[in-house]
Amino acid sequence: MTSSRTVTRLSRILALIPYVLDQQAVDVSEIMERFGYTEEQLTRDLNTIFVCGLPGYGPGDLMEAYIDEDEVIIDAADFFSKAPRLTPIEALGLLASGMTVIGSGEGSPALEAAVRKLSKVVMPDADTSLAVDVLDQSRHVGSLRDAAAANQIVHIVYRSVGKEETTERDIEPWSVFVTMGRWYVYGHCRLVDGPRTFRVDRIKELKVLADVFERPDEIPTPGVGYSPSKDDVTCVIDLAPEALWVLEYYPVDVVRESPKGTRIRFHSPDAEVPARLLLRLGAHGRLVDGPEVAVRIEAIGQALLSRYQ
Amino acid sequence: MQNVVERVLNLLIYLLESPNPVDSNEIRNTVHGYADQSDEAFHRMFERDKQVLRRLGVPLKLEARDVWEIDEGYTVDPDEYAIPDPKLTQEERLALSVAARMVRLGGTEVGVGAIIKLGGMERGDGLEPLRADLGEGAEILGELFAAISERRKVRFSYRGHIRPVEPYGMAHRRGHWYLVGNTSDGERMYRVDRIDALEVGEKADIFTKPKGFDIRKSVDSQPWEAGTDPEVEAKVRFDSDVAWWAARSLGLQEPKKELTATVAVVNREAFVGWVLSFGDAAEVIEPPELRQAVAKRVEETLARL
Repeated sequence: MTSSRTVTRLSRILALIPYVLDQQAVDVSEIMERFGYTEEQLTRDLNTIFVCGLPGYGPGDLMEAYIDEDEVIIDAADFFSKAPRLTPIEALGLLASGMTVIGSGEGSPALEAAVRKLSKVVMPDADTSLAVDVLDQSRHVGSLRDAAAANQIVHIVYRSVGKEETTERDIEPWSVFVTMGRWYVYGHCRLVDGPRTFRVDRIKELKVLADVFERPDEIPTPGVGYSPSKDDVTCVIDLAPEALWVLEYYPVDVVRESPKGTRIRFHSPDAEVPARLLLRLGAHGRLVDGPEVAVRIEAIGQALLSRYQ
Repeated sequence: MQNVVERVLNLLIYLLESPNPVDSNEIRNTVHGYADQSDEAFHRMFERDKQVLRRLGVPLKLEARDVWEIDEGYTVDPDEYAIPDPKLTQEERLALSVAARMVRLGGTEVGVGAIIKLGGMERGDGLEPLRADLGEGAEILGELFAAISERRKVRFSYRGHIRPVEPYGMAHRRGHWYLVGNTSDGERMYRVDRIDALEVGEKADIFTKPKGFDIRKSVDSQPWEAGTDPEVEAKVRFDSDVAWWAARSLGLQEPKKELTATVAVVNREAFVGWVLSFGDAAEVIEPPELRQAVAKRVEETLARL
């Protein structure tokens, strides 16, 4: 059992020493910013460095580390003239971070050059063996990011996920993020007067307004996905083994599982979503319970059949 | 924790500075912090410290100290220990720092730890509201990344079967990480979160990737592009209400009104499902057999009500 905090702390110490050795003396404020230290943490780590060194552990064997007139000084630590190499997950994390930003359309020539140089030392053929697809097909991410950075209000035409309906609203964007492969914008929605998360690919049109909003000091954690409400439509569906992908795409409750099929409870704001799902599934799904959904399937199904006659 | 941090620093210095491999007895008698421990306590501490070193990225090795390979000792080669310098400019490091702070993998900003090893973060300007979460499972992702870059074979359990794979690449797509590699049945793709009991082969550079391999081509972008049905060109009409939405999914220019799109289909099952996800706002125009397939699916659903 290894504490992650021990590893994180040691990793920072082993990066700090070579940096200071190389620069000889560095301002305390620069070190704090560069390595993400508080003053207290930095003092503690310098005191730790100060009591470690070569076997014998006499005055001439230990490293020197102290703060002198607001400068960090480290000496007698030549064995740590370089930081340890990146672990695989660190290398992957940093490469994937760069690729994510480039893939989102928010890259820059400097970032592209950085990813290229980093690949050369950690995975020379990364351009053909590693990919992060966070494509923003709406091309709205850039505008939303700029609006959030400048606290500008945005007017959106939005096609909601739960209900297949289109609404217009003004939002105060706080952050733009990608999770589970999808882009979201999170902020205060003036239409419902509360925090809301919107899927960026569902924003049909967008206009950044000149008006500025006031950003709250504390921004609550964004909720992603679907939160049930009492007005929901609930239905029960049996899925054949071929239709188990549904469990990964929709927030469902599994009622029971067996090799022949899986019974789920499906919640959504209206009957449209489960009705379309069941039409997709054909013989791989069966509506067990949900009268409103059955009515909706009948209506869409008949409309479809008349198109195909 | 304070004791552990000091002891590991002392251990690492000893290993970097020793000209020859050193065994656990020498370490125990030399490195500050191990003395006065019972045998059992020492071994527990030493195992733990070795694990800490490996998690830090320290290439700790056990090497033979005699020609019969009976006597072995631990060593860290200073050249192997040192991080290779990618020679980033200040501007490039700033761009990477900003990216690293935006992206989470395995629940943490792992890229920030990497940037710190590369000389720390550069001062950015202002608020960066973009964030990205690339999912969980950092440990297995790291092992797969290393196996891909060092060209080592892997074996794992996947849906109850043991799969030996030559790993060619990995991709994050639609919220999941995928591994692409060569098997006895040709190139295959695996969802990383379904991989269990991963074992990585000991020998590096054991296979060569085919020339022209590109992970992006291997991870098919649309469900109807992944399949073995004879390819057919389908023409689909989307009503104006959903046309913009369909155009976006297909990577086409967004139309003002309705959209008629031509799509190459090699998985009819998946294609019919996708068209029906638009309800009655989309219609397959041709070919006739795909029109029939949609109508048949609708009739099946209605018959099961």
